[in-house]
Amino acid sequence: MRLRGASVFFSASLVLILGHANKARADFEMHYPVIDYREFELEHNGSTSIDGRGAFNNNQSYTVELGYGVTPWWEPEIEFDMGAEPGQNWTYSATTFENTFQLTEQGEYWADLGFYAEYQRSAVRGQADQINFGPVAQKAWNDVLGSGLNTLHTVNLLFGKQVGEARNDATPVALSWQSRLRLDNLFQPGIEYYGNFNNIAGPTTMTDPTHRAGPVLVGFYNMYQYGKVKYELGYLVGLNNATERGTIRWRFEYEKSF
Amino acid sequence: MIQAKSIRLASLLLAGVLAGAMDLPGPARAQEPANFNLAIQDHRFDPADLAVPAGVRFTITVKNLNPNAAEFESSDLDREKVVVGGGSITVFLGPLTPGSYEFFNDFDPVARGHIVAK
Repeated sequence: MRLRGASVFFSASLVLILGHANKARADFEMHYPVIDYREFELEHNGSTSIDGRGAFNNNQSYTVELGYGVTPWWEPEIEFDMGAEPGQNWTYSATTFENTFQLTEQGEYWADLGFYAEYQRSAVRGQADQINFGPVAQKAWNDVLGSGLNTLHTVNLLFGKQVGEARNDATPVALSWQSRLRLDNLFQPGIEYYGNFNNIAGPTTMTDPTHRAGPVLVGFYNMYQYGKVKYELGYLVGLNNATERGTIRWRFEYEKSF
Repeated sequence: MIQAKSIRLASLLLAGVLAGAMDLPGPARAQEPANFNLAIQDHRFDPADLAVPAGVRFTITVKNLNPNAAEFESSDLDREKVVVGGGSITVFLGPLTPGSYEFFNDFDPVARGHIVAK
């Protein structure tokens, strides 16, 4: 019932999105498939690159997001995207309407499954808008090999498509993976990978893919009726020449149920 | 070429995860998990200590007997789910290692309890 309801709603949303409809996306944001129903969230994501090569150094990206768990299976968010390319001034780059759909009940199946869809309205003149969508999955693997360690693994596979007059025909794909140890609420160390493949549906005439991987710390502090604060702090190492040597990324979030 | 291979590999990997998520083979799902009941009334859970078997999957039906919404939450178990006033929810859990796992009503944190896996 939930799957059918979510599918119908997702289809309707996608049609709506396609009816209108890009950017420099927040590349280092992991999406999770579990919705916190009736929870308001205020979130900030940011990243900055470190590289001896001037064209790759100090590439900055910042987002502020507001979201709410409207139903047990749907959370829409509005995101405001800012950033600065290396050597350039800050600009407001896009406004993004994000949607996360929870497709399975947490813990009911082998893994938890969701679907993510966003529409990016570019704020940069001459730049196309973009939709990004795809599955998000999460697997809790507890008491790994009898060690007593609890782990959580999340994967996102998002496909992109530009829309509007300035669009190109590329189909970029963003793959992200995060595995972490649930040692403590405040301290959950892990590793993560972010890959961007610029075009999978045609000749590879565009820029090279980028690959980044590195350690991450995740945690939260529950203030009960006063809400919850969450954080993620990671350092990503560029794995090929097309990628910055290093990127620091962070995420801070405040959640409050109503 | 490498890019296409990487994508194919990633797609296969994700397909595997999705297939697992949708529980296609399903040997572990052949048997319905045992269900336990928990009620939220006034400022407490009943029972406050819920004994469950360790090492197996199970469900808990949480009934909210209050007129106001409640939220069954457990940091130990990584669960957080709202129960509307007068409504009920099903929480899927396990397998758990033997031990005590705290839960609480996030809207009324005085109400607390433990799942004790034995």
